[in-house]
Amino acid sequence: MKNEKKSLLKSILNGRNTGLLIAFAVLLIIAAIITPSMYSISSFMNMFQNNAVYMMLAVGMMLVIITGGIDLSVASTLGLSGVICSSLMSKNPEVPAIVWVLLGILVGALCGAFNGFIVGYLKMVPMIATLGTMYIFRGFAFLASGGEWWFPHQFTEGYVKFATGKILGVYNILWITIILFILFGIFLGYTAPGRRIYAIGTNKESAKVAGIKEPQITFMAFTICGALAGLAGMLYTANYAICYYGMGDGYEMIAIAICILGGVSITGGKGSIDGVIIGALMMSVITYFISLLPGLSVWQSAIQGAIIIIAVLINIFTGLSAKKRVLKERGALI
Amino acid sequence: MANPTKAPAYSLSVKEKFKLSRFLVQWEMILVYILILINLVLMTTKSNLYFTPGTIQSIIQSGMDLSPLVLGMIFVLMVGDIDVSVAATMITASMVTGLTMDAGIPSILCVVLGILAGGICGAFNGFLVAYMKMPSVIVTISTSMLFRGIVKIVLDVNVLKNFPKFYVNLAWMNIAGIPIALLLFLVMAAGFIVILHKSTFGRKLYIIGNNSTCATYSGINVERTKLTVFIIMGLMAGITSMFFVGRMGGGVSSTMGTGYELDAIAICVLGGISTNGGKGKLYGPVIATLIMAFLNYTLGLMGVDANSRKIMIGFILIIAVLIPSINKQLFDNIKLYFVYAGNKNIEALNVKAAEEVKALSNLINETKKDIALNEADKAEKLKKYNDKINFIKARTKEQTQRLKAEMKNDRAKASKVSRS
Repeated sequence: MKNEKKSLLKSILNGRNTGLLIAFAVLLIIAAIITPSMYSISSFMNMFQNNAVYMMLAVGMMLVIITGGIDLSVASTLGLSGVICSSLMSKNPEVPAIVWVLLGILVGALCGAFNGFIVGYLKMVPMIATLGTMYIFRGFAFLASGGEWWFPHQFTEGYVKFATGKILGVYNILWITIILFILFGIFLGYTAPGRRIYAIGTNKESAKVAGIKEPQITFMAFTICGALAGLAGMLYTANYAICYYGMGDGYEMIAIAICILGGVSITGGKGSIDGVIIGALMMSVITYFISLLPGLSVWQSAIQGAIIIIAVLINIFTGLSAKKRVLKERGALI
Repeated sequence: MANPTKAPAYSLSVKEKFKLSRFLVQWEMILVYILILINLVLMTTKSNLYFTPGTIQSIIQSGMDLSPLVLGMIFVLMVGDIDVSVAATMITASMVTGLTMDAGIPSILCVVLGILAGGICGAFNGFLVAYMKMPSVIVTISTSMLFRGIVKIVLDVNVLKNFPKFYVNLAWMNIAGIPIALLLFLVMAAGFIVILHKSTFGRKLYIIGNNSTCATYSGINVERTKLTVFIIMGLMAGITSMFFVGRMGGGVSSTMGTGYELDAIAICVLGGISTNGGKGKLYGPVIATLIMAFLNYTLGLMGVDANSRKIMIGFILIIAVLIPSINKQLFDNIKLYFVYAGNKNIEALNVKAAEEVKALSNLINETKKDIALNEADKAEKLKKYNDKINFIKARTKEQTQRLKAEMKNDRAKASKVSRS
């Protein structure tokens, strides 16, 4: 009994997310001192509305990274699904918005399934496979758009309202993100396919021996990642009421960055939805904070890059100290 | 193969005889065929343009602006890492050169400073990857944001225009009909070939790429080697900045050159360098650089726009990686899946039976040729062998059926259990 209590306290103190939360709190305090104007409900809402797309991409990316892979093609998938949805929407304005949402998810899922097929069944290196599909999907996005741009007046009200409408004073796009967080928290923590994703990422061979069909799970992870990217693409166009084939270029890096900030191990097998939520919150606060400082908006990408490096370094050192602690508890000689 | 009995005990080198058939189907030669094919297509469809003096030179020049990146990237991929910050490093190097030129420092010093800046960026990557044990993908993704961010901070929206005069000549001039850029590229490639294939450093890269733990235990300083590789990559990115700035006509802004890192990686992969490390030769990417230049130009002439070309490059990348996996193993797997219903027992049974049948049919052939036996004995023996073959075939068939039925039963049971 006593032991359990101690371990609970210890686990809170040594937990991976505790450091993240402390860093987040420090960041909020610094922001409060320098830019108090940030602290209003409306500005927070705007901040999260602008970052919801990143959060969706990060959730899908997390699944793929936990299997030990990486998906560089999410930004191109986002572009492709956004272009297909808005081009068809501008031609058929009478169709309800939910159809376009489903179409976006379908397009994304197809892209993801292609990735999953070549990675899972044909055993390609995920980095190179998705590098190739990144080119391919972006090219298809251009072909689908024909080089055209869509501007706010071409978007139907229902389509735009799907993301920017409000329920209980909160933007729809935020509700969708919150629902996704809850859904994937349950999926990863409490369902068999979710646990299998971890099993594959931790040790492929032993997962195989345990009877897990590794290609199937990899395929599933990539398909879900693609579907989320497709959904994000549709919501991106609805949120900003603008669409062109090159939209979202470089978002894959931000999604990966959020995952790493949130403690998802790039070698696979480690990571949880709460970490990603904190990582996403941190990333959005940092970006918003920098954009509020006068003359500092050019610093954004440099600071983001530096933050990722520092976050990974901290991850590695906490991982090392955790290993040492475990060895000590077992009474091993160090 | 050298005769093992005659070879001296201390010689570890395995000298293989030159085999023309093997030489002609290796990956590098296939790349050469592709290059010739593209040339033929271009020659037949646009013959008047192809034979105009200057066309081929300009095609080659169009592909040379990222060629040094490819050389550096080969080393990085060889040790099993990846570097996606090269475009940002390249822009940083260009910026350093441009800024020092603005400050009025002699131009040759500016060039050296630019290349050194690239080297420092590479050293930063290498330090984090080798000594901090961070995954190279993450390090270089974040340093690409960092380096480009620094360029954005320094330059903001300004454009640097003051660059050494010879940059433009480097990218656009020919000597005796051969582009200077190509000459420089070939000279550098020769140097890299010597390093990779003829020096201990090159052999170390192969060992690290194949198994870095094994390399550590063999007494190779993996950390230092990796750091050196990343510094070389950075220096090559610095050298690329010369070609790149010349190609762009001597102007640099902070958003230029995005996507170069992916092009460089694509060329390396097409050239047969394995992204898992430890496999590939340097000749491949050198030819692949030319293929990419010709392909881009040809497709452009045929009216394929830049974005459709992207699709093709993507597919080429995937297919190039997939081709080595088309081997006996793959066909065996397909056979296992479709003929033997995915059951390895059935496969083993059939393979064993096939071997036995083959041995027996060999015996039959031998008996047929045997002159020592008379006709009656021969017929009797043949009959015995044939009976045996038929028996084995029937037995295998029956056992296969039984195994398949068992499998069906198991599946039915499993589904029952999961339902209840």
